[in-house]
Amino acid sequence: MILLAHILLPFTYILLALLIKKASIKSRLAVLFATFNLLWALALLPIVQFKDIIVVQVGGWAAPYGISLVADRFSVFMLIMTAIVFFLVTIYATQSVDKARRKSGHFFFTFGILMGVNGSFIAGDIFNLYVWYEVMLMSSFILMSLGGERAQMEGSIKYLILNLISALFFVSGVGLLYGNLGTLNMADLSAIISEKSHMLTHLNPALILMVVSFAIKGALVPFFFWLPASYHTPPPAVSALLAGLLTKVGIYSLIRFYTLFLYHDAPFWNQLILWMGVLSMVIGVFAASSQFDFRKILSFHIISQVGYVVIGLGFYTVSGIAAAIFFLAHNMLSKTNAFLVAGWVKRQKGTLNLKTLGEVYKESPVWGVLFFISAFSLAGLPPLSGFIGKYLIIKAGIEANYIVVALIALFVGLFTLFSMVKIWLEVFWKDVPKDRVVKIPEKKRKSQYMLTASIIMAILIVAMGLWAQPIVTYCEQAAVDLLNPELYIDRVLNFSR
Amino acid sequence: MRNLILEKIAIIYLRAILIVSVWLLLRGHNEPGGGFIAGIIASTGFILYAIVYGSTAVEKTLRYNTRNWIGSGLLIILIAVVLPLIWGKPAMTSIWMTLPDSISSYVHIGTPLLFDIGVYVAVIGIILSIIITIMDVLKWNS
Repeated sequence: MILLAHILLPFTYILLALLIKKASIKSRLAVLFATFNLLWALALLPIVQFKDIIVVQVGGWAAPYGISLVADRFSVFMLIMTAIVFFLVTIYATQSVDKARRKSGHFFFTFGILMGVNGSFIAGDIFNLYVWYEVMLMSSFILMSLGGERAQMEGSIKYLILNLISALFFVSGVGLLYGNLGTLNMADLSAIISEKSHMLTHLNPALILMVVSFAIKGALVPFFFWLPASYHTPPPAVSALLAGLLTKVGIYSLIRFYTLFLYHDAPFWNQLILWMGVLSMVIGVFAASSQFDFRKILSFHIISQVGYVVIGLGFYTVSGIAAAIFFLAHNMLSKTNAFLVAGWVKRQKGTLNLKTLGEVYKESPVWGVLFFISAFSLAGLPPLSGFIGKYLIIKAGIEANYIVVALIALFVGLFTLFSMVKIWLEVFWKDVPKDRVVKIPEKKRKSQYMLTASIIMAILIVAMGLWAQPIVTYCEQAAVDLLNPELYIDRVLNFSR
Repeated sequence: MRNLILEKIAIIYLRAILIVSVWLLLRGHNEPGGGFIAGIIASTGFILYAIVYGSTAVEKTLRYNTRNWIGSGLLIILIAVVLPLIWGKPAMTSIWMTLPDSISSYVHIGTPLLFDIGVYVAVIGIILSIIITIMDVLKWNS
């Protein structure tokens, strides 16, 4: 039950949203359920510290046959970060999303995404992981196209088609794997593969299909095209949620797969994953610096930042994976907050084109500071969380003797700083261009909830940088657990109540 | 133009198909059938009714909005999932009622039945909400 609640809470909200008509009650219930989800995720923290791995066998069926829900330290950390991001974006959305969208089911589908994301973090077998991916894909597709504006439709069709292809790859990989080994339970699979490590090349077709599907989900380099094509079209609250949560699930699955299965064939996979990460970092950051749309720059940066996480995984040391986990969490907060600020700018100015914006800092210094905190955390300035994340990654790279990769990561950080400074100068600092007068909305709309959500997020970013030590220690413990899959296998397969 | 024969057939078909669907729902746990199939079959009856009488008439026969049908179906599923917790068993465990010996060989009542009923109601709601939306958009027989 302790883990099932992460699926049942969003499920309960979804059915309540079907039975209730009033938009205002729906919004309040959404905040309430997001709070419950957050509290429940925080309650898992002491339990996982005590038990190392939480296992629930649904319906009392033993492990390789029934549905197992498994949460180790990494999963719980991801659940908590998801709950924080979701809670704050929900508060933000109660004001930022217009009433027509809220009435026609905005929160309904955001909770669909929450259910999918939570489900993927605790799924103990691959087929369930696939099902949660589908739940996430369908809800996010509808959320993207909800409202039916022209640009939105264009973005969401690209999103849907590329993600359906990824789902096709995933399910064919699942089929091949099941045909070869006769089980889909992750712990069972890992145990079987470690016994028969000589036949691993035999399984590579299936694993490659699945890794490609994760790479499409996580927007890693040759497969990232859908992300910048679609993330700048939906309402800001939606793109903030998608940017904060969805790609991270793909990367989570990649880390989980690597530490359970792929490490057996490390000579093949390690270099592949490492250089995929390096290419993502470099290409993402270069593509971002050539853009002139606020949200498009941030979208390209998602690709670059995801690359950092993947190189952390590619080092495959305790410090490397701990850094990857820390960076993933930092990125969820900072990226979402940057999108939240973009949403406010869009609401006030009606556009996000850098060339027509200007002087926003004069209008509202508070939002300026909020953007400053999240953007320069992304760029990696001390004392913000991004600095710790990048420092850990680069340190791990040097320790693992990947000097070139570490240098590239440093170099990419410089370019991230460049494009963040570009947004800062263009949007917040420079004078409004004389020849491009933008019509200002007739009356200033209230934005106190949006501001609250963004301020809390910014405080968390600063706090994560200043009090990084306990979080890093936790991440190191999580990395040790990930590097010893025997514990995971043992707990899931020899489960007794 | 009204077609009297078709109208009568639609009503008779709806009644017959509802009985068949309930029968399929009840035999579902051990034999072919179950909530999903029964729900689809039941909704064919409503679809024919909708084609003949129009979408507003079928909404009236359903009594509640299709959204409420989906919602209550999901509610029943949720109850079936969390009910075993009262007995201290993991969620989604099957709990069966102990019935008197005279009927226990052919009547089984338990949480899987409740789960199937929830699926039945939700599937009817989902299919009809899709069909009614399409009919409204196409202005079909309204």
